[in-house]
Amino acid sequence: MNLWTLVWRNLLRRRGRFVFTLAGISMGMAAFVALMTIGQGLTKEIKKQAQGLGANLVVTPKGWCAYEQISVLTGEQLPEAIPMPELEKIRGVAGVKSAIPYLNEKTAFRNQPVPVIGVWPEEMRTLQKWAIESGRYFNSPVERAVVVGSAIAKQFKLQPGDTFTVRGEPLPVIGVLREAGTKNDIATFIPLPLAQQIYGVQDKVSFIAVQVTDLERMEAVSLKIQEVANVAVVSDKQLLASVLSIVGTVGTAMQAVAAVGVLAAAFGIVNTLLTAVYERRREIGILQAIGSTRRTLFLAFMFESGLYGLLGGILGTAIGGLSAYLFGPYLTDNAFTASLRQAPMPTLDNGTVLLALGFSVCLALLAGLYPAYRAARLSPVEAMRYV
Amino acid sequence: MSEAVIELEKVSKTYGSGSAETKAVSEVSMTVEHGGWVAIMGPSGHGKSTLLQLIGGLDRPSDGRIVVDGTELATLGATELAALRARRIGFVFQFFNLLPHLTALENIEIALWLGGTKNTNGRAMDLLERFGLGDKARHLPGMLSGGQQQRVAIARALANDPGILLMDEPTGNLDSASEGDLLTLLSDLNAAGKTLLMVTHNPVVAQCAHRVLHVKDGRIVSDARNREH
Ligand SMILES: Nc1ncnc2c1ncn2[C@@H]1O[C@H](COP(=O)(O)OP(=O)(O)O)[C@@H](O)[C@H]1O
Ligand SMILES: [Mg+2]
Repeated sequence: MNLWTLVWRNLLRRRGRFVFTLAGISMGMAAFVALMTIGQGLTKEIKKQAQGLGANLVVTPKGWCAYEQISVLTGEQLPEAIPMPELEKIRGVAGVKSAIPYLNEKTAFRNQPVPVIGVWPEEMRTLQKWAIESGRYFNSPVERAVVVGSAIAKQFKLQPGDTFTVRGEPLPVIGVLREAGTKNDIATFIPLPLAQQIYGVQDKVSFIAVQVTDLERMEAVSLKIQEVANVAVVSDKQLLASVLSIVGTVGTAMQAVAAVGVLAAAFGIVNTLLTAVYERRREIGILQAIGSTRRTLFLAFMFESGLYGLLGGILGTAIGGLSAYLFGPYLTDNAFTASLRQAPMPTLDNGTVLLALGFSVCLALLAGLYPAYRAARLSPVEAMRYV
Repeated sequence: MSEAVIELEKVSKTYGSGSAETKAVSEVSMTVEHGGWVAIMGPSGHGKSTLLQLIGGLDRPSDGRIVVDGTELATLGATELAALRARRIGFVFQFFNLLPHLTALENIEIALWLGGTKNTNGRAMDLLERFGLGDKARHLPGMLSGGQQQRVAIARALANDPGILLMDEPTGNLDSASEGDLLTLLSDLNAAGKTLLMVTHNPVVAQCAHRVLHVKDGRIVSDARNREH
């Protein structure tokens, strides 16, 4: 027998109230944890995609909004807006190691949308350090053939020798790329001139990925490019930062709403415990009569409150983690991963768990302060007068 | 006469103030000797419970001096008073003595825990068995009869082996059979050296004590020794 036995019995004696109070804090924590987890999964995914881009600078048409910048990372369809002559100008800028164009389009294959990306085969292969899983890579920059990402190959059961149609144009599948864990897995690639011909955009590309010779001089190269060509330039870092800031702002706002939910649940704890102090007046008097100090009474209520936080935190983290895992892919679908069929996997890491439990326990302890104080301040004589 | 374990000197207690002022206890002076058994009688609302609470350190007097077991209560802080209640005084009230969501055994164990007494060799269980409640150890108070509850309450009051038992109408809620059992129990305890101070309305119960105090309007109006003692 110790204080914990007493606290535990007290906690469970009003089942209904216990369940509803716990449900409040659990739901609040679940929302909080789910949003945090999804946000982290998303951030991780975005970083991975930015790395997968393999460029230092991204040349875009002027006036692109953030959503279009995000699409650079996701491989979404993009307006084809940079004329080829601009590309030539950029390639001529001192300090530019490589500048390779992308034409991001989309086709319907067996009634499913599939990204089709027009690239310069050799340059692209060097930049992406691509490996071939099966079949072969393009032999020439104008070969009428398609190389498919690993996830696409799996999804449509495509092998070298099969036929893939781009906008009604049948093309032989010559190779499958090795899985890279990026958006390249869920795209198909054809040589740029072929893409331009099929999509009827002879002299235009969506964006240009630039590698610089000297990272120190990135800023100067960026300015120079904007001087010689009528384009906008963002660094991979800026791109990442701006995408993250959008996702982050939305995530933070949603988490704040969830935190308010947890706060409301904390008031539920205050309420429940104040009612308990009132109901247990006589018992509090008896405990004092048999030698309980005010400190012991205070602690008993603090522990009870802390248990609400701990149990609510554990339940909430479990429910939140599970729902992030189950529903996360749908929730993040529009925000970032419209075309990512392997949606970002929400990650419930130790840090998140500890943070959530800490938050919930601390808040519950704060909620317990006033009721515990009230219990400790009860005069035994007053308390004993009630039956 | 042996030494006094309880001494009151002009003790008063006033509740409230102004027009709501109630003088519950008024300049009471009395002593209870070691091993004594004192009954306090008197009409309702005349300060009997207040008197017990003051002696037990559950409340402070407005005036006067109280010495329990050689310690002047005024010199003790709240925590020391709690320790006094835990170890040197046992309280028994008329009803709802027990914590309703703890079993009979746990009710005793929590008193042991509060008093810092080790529950070695199943002391709590021994106490229950001594009072004929061994088979009720795992019962919640609600499943026990009034008499059984009072016996658990007394067992709990004795958990830390205090010298003094303060009882506020301990038989007030019992049928006469249970009352008889309880009186036998109290008499055994007294024979074993415990000092008993109890409030009662029942002359039959008061008759078992060595001494009967009558209280009226917060004052002791008579102090009589029972013939057989
Ligand atoms: N905590 C309290 N606050 C105010 N008045 C009280 C309190 N306790 C007792 N009283 C008053 O003091 C008087 C004596 O009460 P009490 O000691 O309970 O009497 P008894 O036990 O003899 O019935 C009563 O008038 C009662 O109303
Ligand atoms: Mg009374």
